[in-house]
Amino acid sequence: MTEERLKELLGTLADATVEPVRQGLSEDIKSHIPQTLMAHRGGWDTINIIIDLRVSRLAAAAVIILAMLLLANLFGGRDTTGADIYQDSKLLIQYWLSGEEAHKSDVLAAMSELYGHLAGQGREVTYYGDWIDPENGSAVLMHWKLPDDNYRVIFSDLRIRTVSAEDLIMLQARMLQERAE
Amino acid sequence: MEKNVQSTEQMDSLAHPVNEKTMPESIQGYSQQQRDLLVARLRAGEHKAAAELVDLYYEQIYLFLRRLGHSRQVGEDLTQESFLRAWNHIGQLRDGRALNSWLYRIAGNASRLYWRRHAGSSPASIEGIDVADDSETGADRVGRNEELERLKKTVGRLSMKLRQVIVLHYMQHLTIAEAAEAVGIREGTFKSRLNRALKILRKHLT
Repeated sequence: MTEERLKELLGTLADATVEPVRQGLSEDIKSHIPQTLMAHRGGWDTINIIIDLRVSRLAAAAVIILAMLLLANLFGGRDTTGADIYQDSKLLIQYWLSGEEAHKSDVLAAMSELYGHLAGQGREVTYYGDWIDPENGSAVLMHWKLPDDNYRVIFSDLRIRTVSAEDLIMLQARMLQERAE
Repeated sequence: MEKNVQSTEQMDSLAHPVNEKTMPESIQGYSQQQRDLLVARLRAGEHKAAAELVDLYYEQIYLFLRRLGHSRQVGEDLTQESFLRAWNHIGQLRDGRALNSWLYRIAGNASRLYWRRHAGSSPASIEGIDVADDSETGADRVGRNEELERLKKTVGRLSMKLRQVIVLHYMQHLTIAEAAEAVGIREGTFKSRLNRALKILRKHLT
């Protein structure tokens, strides 16, 4: 038997062993979800407390960004933990804001503050906040250079990506083109 | 938040084509960004996110455990146990990209622990269903079913280490990188285990 034929058969076996799952299993599992999922230590405890206190989501977002700045100060913005927390914070802010009628400009203001902080650290950072169309989610809001010569890019819809210098040029070119149109 | 965004995840180092039919629908609709968001919500302790994780993965994890040779009852118990462990170790979860391997690793460990505690018990076989191909004649189908039955038995006789790599990669459709991380070994070691397992299967089926 050829290896290809064997792999094909294994694929068929996968299909042939799809067994129906008992109805109610998912509910059984969900009933065991603890009321308080505690994942984070350190700075994250503060964030969880903020959420538990049911303060305004926007206020929580502002505090999270301040916490990010504090962490960046403590670790020089280069530690992985800080980076993880930053990534999570951005996603959470995005999620929360989508759940209420909040003004994006508040977040943009916080981003502007982050720009000031990174620039103060001597990073190669560029901020387009006053220039871009905030309705265009794919517009680059801010980018800064990483030690490995790649660039961290934050888009106006608060997505974050790490891109190469070539990709960044392409993103900027597209932005210019869209603006010209 | 919109959930039906096309998945953009790169299935890199995939040695075989993904069978779309067997990918659970709930996973297919999740883009990398949505998975990252789910992980961020989990890490923040959101109860609803935990329920979402169950909906996304409970069938996959149950099938994984059944394919590792656990009975229906034990499969269900271990699926529940895996999620309980997951709640307690959410802090270890890095991002959406690691979600698959993280959950499979937890389930794989629960399975290993079970076999260690029940060293004497023999693996259970999963009931097969007929995956008929309309273009096949009756004789072709009988021949193929016999071949499948032999393959199932041979996979069942593999050592647990080799069986796990076959199940993760060819049946649960994890990429080499994801599956290696789920087993807790390097990609190179995973590939060599996979080759060894395929060699044994070919030898027994020829």
